[in-house]
Amino acid sequence: MTIVIFELPDGTQRKVTAEPGTVLMQAAVSNGVDGIVAECGGNASCATCHVYVDARHTELVGPPNDVEDEMLDFTAAERRPTSRLSCQIQLSDALDGLLVHVPEEQV
Amino acid sequence: MNAVTTAAPGAPVVELDLAELRHDPYPAYRELRRTAPLAWVPSVGRHLLTRYEDIVHAEKLPEVFSSREEGSLLLRTVGPNLLREDDPDHRRLRSAAEPPTRPRQVRDLWAGAFERTAHQLLDRIAGRGEADLIRDFAEPLAAANLALVLGLSNASADDIADWSRAMMAGNSNYADDPDVWLRAEGATRAIEEAVAETAGRVRREPDGSVISSMVHADGPVTLAEIQNNVKVIIGGGVNEPRDVFGVGAQALLHRPEVLDRVLKDPALWKRVFEETARWISPIGMYPRQLTQDHEIAGVPLPAGSRVALVIASGNRDESVFERADEFDVDRPHHPHLAFGGGPHFCMGAWVARHEVSALAWPLVFGRLKGLRPTDSPADHLEGWVFRGLTSLNVTWQTS
Repeated sequence: MTIVIFELPDGTQRKVTAEPGTVLMQAAVSNGVDGIVAECGGNASCATCHVYVDARHTELVGPPNDVEDEMLDFTAAERRPTSRLSCQIQLSDALDGLLVHVPEEQV
Repeated sequence: MNAVTTAAPGAPVVELDLAELRHDPYPAYRELRRTAPLAWVPSVGRHLLTRYEDIVHAEKLPEVFSSREEGSLLLRTVGPNLLREDDPDHRRLRSAAEPPTRPRQVRDLWAGAFERTAHQLLDRIAGRGEADLIRDFAEPLAAANLALVLGLSNASADDIADWSRAMMAGNSNYADDPDVWLRAEGATRAIEEAVAETAGRVRREPDGSVISSMVHADGPVTLAEIQNNVKVIIGGGVNEPRDVFGVGAQALLHRPEVLDRVLKDPALWKRVFEETARWISPIGMYPRQLTQDHEIAGVPLPAGSRVALVIASGNRDESVFERADEFDVDRPHHPHLAFGGGPHFCMGAWVARHEVSALAWPLVFGRLKGLRPTDSPADHLEGWVFRGLTSLNVTWQTS
């Protein structure tokens, strides 16, 4: 199991566990993490599962793919260099302990 | 799985008059949410699901709430298409058709032409001082833009609008009127010819359009699949941006203080768009069919049950949206259901957002000075499966 931590805008943290191979968005949605809306269900069409990957982990997680990169220009909260769509981050053992920050707004 | 066309045992049965729903569905929805959030409605032949949380639950389980509804009027009108498919077939078609509708493509490829068309339409009426903004502006704009994005340079905006109306009438032909079927068949044949001709052209010269994208897709897409999916996109793609435009414009015309704020702060157009789509959703409901037994809203439904997800009702759910019946651009941001959810999330969302909130509203309110409504707010507003203004009559100063 991979442990990931979502830090909400008010500073509280939600620690959830997920099977390696699932995507980060799914780990949030199936554990009811507030602030990850994921309207399109994981197809990179809606830009509502935006997260900021913690600076310590951005290199490990890697950059957005092309389709995602485009969608990140249209997120409700500002885009930062650490921005990713959580539906495009596949969890693995290497990402155990991943910390991401949930933005103020998704819509 | 065969469709079950009767009430599930244990589901409350609620009689609703379709004419009343068309006139104003919201009082009936409020009562359903309060007393029977899943109810069999004989005149619709489906269970209506009306609370926000239950609709979201259904949208997140496409493997249970299948889009493959048997005997749907849409299937009869246009044939098999991505709206009535599940993944992986849905995904193959969606991936082929979607790239031209993504936000960067909208900005780089289509926005300039959208703007020129909007100006041309306004040039025609600007000196008149009065117009029906649906007939004279919103519908021809939506139709011309749709022709462009689809790649149908061989069809006029009038063709697109006529075809859309004829197919939409077929989709709601519960009365089985043979004339309606005849008109719908005429439209679908004309679209098939136009698409076949376009497909031949873009095979040689790709042009970034939806048809071109489908012709050159990695996953194999047949000509018949392109034709049927273009029919669906024409069927829905005119009325949705047109109806958001009309309802939102009317809401502002009757709320001058909000309009003033928006004109001073154009960043608010985006809020106007999302709030309009929530408040009076252009698509009010869509059907699903259960692939397996599943309990929802406290009612165990057997496999094959037909359920209508009433997103227009979910968007007025008072447990999610305070004072849900009010149009309020300042309400706390909360996702609405107007674009649907899950794999079928509206493919035209980014086109519509640009076309209406970045272009059509700012241009109309910017160019037509002293715009005033000549209708009262309830005039010309109708529909429940699809809802919008059939006319929006206005006057303005000419000098």
